[in-house]
Amino acid sequence: MIQNHHLLLPRLNLLWALIYGSSAIMGLRLVELQILHKGEYRMEAERNRTQMIYQTAPRGRIYDRNGVALASNQPAFSLIYLPAEGKALADLKPLAEDLAGQINQASATLLETLQQAVSEKTAIRLAENLPSRTMFRLSELKTIYPGVDLIVEARRYYPLGRFASHLIGYTGKMDSRSWKELKSKGYRVDSRIGKMGLESVFERQLRGIDGGVRMEVDAQGRLKRILERIFWEPGSNIYLTLDANVQKAADEGLRKSATNRGAVVALDPRNGAILALSSAPDFDPNALLSSDPKLVKETFAGLTEFNHAIAGTYSPGSIFKPIVGAAGLNEARIDPQEIVFCPGYFELGKRIFLCWEHKGHKKMSWFPGLTQSCDVYFYHMGLKTGGALIEKYAKLFGLGVKTNIALKGEKSGNIFGPESRAKSSRSWWYDGDTVNLSIGQGELLVTPIQMAVVASAIANRGTLWRPHYTDRIEYARERAEYKQQPEKMGSIPLKDETWNNVQEAMLLAVSSGTARQAAIPGLDVRGKTGSAQNPSGDDHAWFMAYAAKPGELPSIAVVVLVENGGKGSSVAAPIAKEVILAAFGRTL
Amino acid sequence: MPIKAEIGKGRIDWVFIAAVLGLLGLGTLMMLSAASPLPYYTQILQRHFMALLLGALFFFFGLGFNYQIFQDQAQVLYALVLAILAAVLLIGTTQRGHRAWINISFFTFQPAELARIVMILVMAAFLDWRARKMDQFSSVLLAFGVAGPVMFLILKQPDFSTVLTFFPILLGMIFCGGAGLAHLFALIGYGATAAFMPLLYTFCQIRYAQAPPGSLPYFILQTSRMGLSAAAVIAAIIFISVMAWRLSIMLRTQARAIYFVAIPLVLAAGMLSGAVATRHMKSYQRNRFVAFVAPHADIQGAAYNVHQSQVAIGSGGLLGKGLFSGTQSRLGFLPERHTDFIYAVVGEEMGFAGTMAILALYMLLIWRIVSAGRLARDRYGYLVCCGLATMFAFEFVLNVGMCVGLMPVAGIPLPLISYGGSSLVITLWALGVVANIYSRRYSLL
Repeated sequence: MIQNHHLLLPRLNLLWALIYGSSAIMGLRLVELQILHKGEYRMEAERNRTQMIYQTAPRGRIYDRNGVALASNQPAFSLIYLPAEGKALADLKPLAEDLAGQINQASATLLETLQQAVSEKTAIRLAENLPSRTMFRLSELKTIYPGVDLIVEARRYYPLGRFASHLIGYTGKMDSRSWKELKSKGYRVDSRIGKMGLESVFERQLRGIDGGVRMEVDAQGRLKRILERIFWEPGSNIYLTLDANVQKAADEGLRKSATNRGAVVALDPRNGAILALSSAPDFDPNALLSSDPKLVKETFAGLTEFNHAIAGTYSPGSIFKPIVGAAGLNEARIDPQEIVFCPGYFELGKRIFLCWEHKGHKKMSWFPGLTQSCDVYFYHMGLKTGGALIEKYAKLFGLGVKTNIALKGEKSGNIFGPESRAKSSRSWWYDGDTVNLSIGQGELLVTPIQMAVVASAIANRGTLWRPHYTDRIEYARERAEYKQQPEKMGSIPLKDETWNNVQEAMLLAVSSGTARQAAIPGLDVRGKTGSAQNPSGDDHAWFMAYAAKPGELPSIAVVVLVENGGKGSSVAAPIAKEVILAAFGRTL
Repeated sequence: MPIKAEIGKGRIDWVFIAAVLGLLGLGTLMMLSAASPLPYYTQILQRHFMALLLGALFFFFGLGFNYQIFQDQAQVLYALVLAILAAVLLIGTTQRGHRAWINISFFTFQPAELARIVMILVMAAFLDWRARKMDQFSSVLLAFGVAGPVMFLILKQPDFSTVLTFFPILLGMIFCGGAGLAHLFALIGYGATAAFMPLLYTFCQIRYAQAPPGSLPYFILQTSRMGLSAAAVIAAIIFISVMAWRLSIMLRTQARAIYFVAIPLVLAAGMLSGAVATRHMKSYQRNRFVAFVAPHADIQGAAYNVHQSQVAIGSGGLLGKGLFSGTQSRLGFLPERHTDFIYAVVGEEMGFAGTMAILALYMLLIWRIVSAGRLARDRYGYLVCCGLATMFAFEFVLNVGMCVGLMPVAGIPLPLISYGGSSLVITLWALGVVANIYSRRYSLL
């Protein structure tokens, strides 16, 4: 009786084996989940429960040589919106209406902004610089509308506003190309990067490490508690060789000029340190970071990233004459005392070349020739010296090659002479070309920074320093400092007498010649004006100068260019005077 | 040999008791943790401990009464369960769309839980009665005929999940009761085909949503509309089987003609039932199929629960995050955390050690039920144990399989661990019956 079902027991055993087998599968699956893949799931659980609100770290500050802050940071609350994939445009209306009341914007324009963000699939800042009391109400909206987020960040601020804008540059949102490049380097989609000038050159150094608040949230995205606050680390500070006063004088001078287009470069002739690098038209980098989208749009529309100081190439005109003189005098092709008669024109074969002074300068020699900038005198001198020598000296002074200043977009200009023409083998070199070259016209093209190097080389009697703007970098994280050393590009081996003659003539030009408007009592200012003819309109006004306290070495070399400004003597020289005054201002 | 060793032991199976107590202890511990973030925490705990007390009472009730009474009074039991299920439909209270509860003063009671155990007791009596005719197909059909009214009444509530557990229990009992293997295969073939159809339809709907007319997925989806294409499929099945029959005659394979009738019949019936079932599925049921077929298609939708459950279990690692420290369950990422998905809480807070402990205790429990079945003094006790073993095994595998993502979401709780008063009390009663069968294994008593 006890085993009346014994014949069926194999079936029960089979059932038991089946149960055993399926539970073994469950066990193996548990091994897979909890032992083999626990790391992935743990990370996912962690992602589930934590949310990070990032705080953009302050970028490193940029100072001038005297410790004046040129770029710093301000705290700001921003409301951002990250559109979800395939979000219907109709869903945005309630969001726009709810937000409009909180941030004082019309719901219609807000809706437009949101729609734009959705259609362009880009994160958009709905509002910036929000007061902290609206912050709490806005964070409630975050739970209702996915995509809305509040962030605290350090916003770039330029205390001097419209100041050295082409040199310092600006910060802005990434475009898709830089995002692809930078996303592996700790950048977020809403990170701002340096877009131009030093902000871009020193992006790696200036960028800090972002901080944030790591929060625990529940399944509805509601804040449970704050897990940790990660403090940001600011970027490295950069000290420039720039002098804010000099730069300000340069910026303002250009802004007040007739055309508001041009450049000023001021160097220290003793080491090539840049004291001012100004390009007009400039812009206000703060406007590009404004919370008012209209202002940003307008500023961007009017923004030219073209830096005239390094990327603009122009005929040098009469400021080339000191180089012609240096060539002729140093090679003894002309004696400084030699008299040339200027009737106001010059005949070469059938062609007639005019002097700028149509009445003629009458009897001219080296000193009056340069101080009065007599064209006819330089025609004679150029023909005696020869195009090949002038070309050689132009190259000696560093023309035709880039100075390799660490800024994007520098141009090399164009050297003009028999040798370069032979290389391009377009045609022969004619005496007429020599005549043009001897007053800095023709196909010779220079950049303002090249001419600034020329001016400092004249001032320091023959050393070509590479222009640099970095004084030192204080690395925030390594607690180390980088100090920029001056670098020699080359030297110009001229006789002492030649330097004396050139420098003396430039002194006379300021004291009694065309550059009288740059004269400063109590300072030793030497310079040369230029009015370069060009096909685009009025002459480009040039002025090249250097200055020293009496009995000391020259400490500033300035080149001013005003595009289509007219006469160098009346337009460019006064700007240079203000720049030089600013450089010596505190000690005068 | 092992049977002889078992006979020598006492009347109480202490390993079995230990497994039950271990599961109850772990379950209570998890309940304390999993329900703690809920607003009705104290109420849930009160009910749980009340059910534990009542369950203990029922366990001894099951242990104390001779189980053979259930065989003698099977008709009474059957009538009683039908009456209670009918009463639920008339006077029951509705929760979450199911009219499945009866209020008894301070307690709500879910008769479907009782019906399942009573069904096992009644079915065992029926199969014992048909013992000599079990090799006939009519016995199989009659067994389903007996279970049919009960399943129908539960389906009316509607409670698909409970009805779903009836099928494996019935199959297990019929199998262990000695039904013809060919009959069982026909039954399983029918069930598998019927269950396969919704999966196939869901798969085609997701994978080939834009299938052009004339393509295979388009044709398959067309068959669900019961039109010409369904008729064409059935015609094709008949044609193929006729040809196969002719071929087997030509080749003189001596195959019995019944196969060439039964196989196409089973296939066609299965397909038709599956198609009908698919058409009458509710949207949440359809979503469960979608979540199972394509777990990564829509992580925020139907597959969200299953995914979060796997994240919870996986993130527990070897030793878990500690009781009361599971972020997935406490922060609400894990749904139904004290009921259907409590195993995921175990996985998260107690890790691999916890999940394995429950798995091991379950296997121990089922092994002891199987052993009690082997040792039972009569065929009736054997059949009851077979039914209960299948029930526990099926619910365990389905629930754990759901939590780890190997099974579709079926809404079946984990007995003895998940929260649920009626289920706990009735389950403990059933386990008392098992203990009773074990204690009366000596024919002398």
